[in-house]
Amino acid sequence: MHIPDGYLSPEVSILMNVVSIAFLVWCWRKAKKEYPKHFASLLAVSSAFVFVAQMINFPITYGTSGHLVGGTFLAVLLGPYAAVLSMTIVLLVQALFFADGGISAFGANVFNMAVIGGLSFYIVKLVAGNSIKGKRFALGVFAASWLSVVLGALACGLEIGASPAFSQVGGIAVTVPAMLFWHTLIGLCEAAITTTFTTQLYRLQPAILNGLVLLRRDAV
Amino acid sequence: MLVGFAILLPFASSYPDGLETVAETLGVEENQPLWDGLMPDYSMPLIENPYLSTLLAGLFGTALVLSLAFALGRALSKTG
Repeated sequence: MHIPDGYLSPEVSILMNVVSIAFLVWCWRKAKKEYPKHFASLLAVSSAFVFVAQMINFPITYGTSGHLVGGTFLAVLLGPYAAVLSMTIVLLVQALFFADGGISAFGANVFNMAVIGGLSFYIVKLVAGNSIKGKRFALGVFAASWLSVVLGALACGLEIGASPAFSQVGGIAVTVPAMLFWHTLIGLCEAAITTTFTTQLYRLQPAILNGLVLLRRDAV
Repeated sequence: MLVGFAILLPFASSYPDGLETVAETLGVEENQPLWDGLMPDYSMPLIENPYLSTLLAGLFGTALVLSLAFALGRALSKTG
């Protein structure tokens, strides 16, 4: 759901850029306080993984595809604040080097995918508490990943619907249902993939998840 | 991870993604981006073969994300 240039009105674009910058600053500050020393490698590999994963589109129904966003995946591995920053790096590289997502739409894309994705951490925490194994964790991850995609799509639908390019064809009343329709489905795939990866990761490399922010009761 | 990427890449769907479909359905066209970037649409310039082009673009992007994220991680860890 990377919004290209030209889909957003200047007002929406500026608004989302401001909102996202505020979130990024906040996340930077919070992340600085919390992260252990050997974090850099995990951060690097997770971000790279999400970047690669986003390149693989899978067909949903005839004529439309989706791809993994990875926000919740990052949130589970890195905690909410670093996840936001990590996804922002992915989006930045995508926008600057691959024209995937417009420069003017960067703030909106950061909000829709990085901020919402990172904050989905709290949904996992809500459902799973401090446990990282078992059904509650899987359920929490599933719900959080699905919601992160659907809410991101909702935000996206609102942003483009409010802009001239789309208001001519019906605006929010049209864009929001349309975005939600596809992303409810895409969200299921995201949820399935994310849940599978995180639960399997626990099995293969428990050390990573053991260091997880989820388990630290003082983390929120 | 990179091996998986190289293997999966040819199967990546070229259908438009959710947002692009919404735009198509509503008849809204995508404008020229403000900034094209080095590898627009994930293709390496000068390389003709589409698979190779995308693969190299992906590898380059991955390396970039790896380095930037690593730098971020270091910057975050520096404070005591």
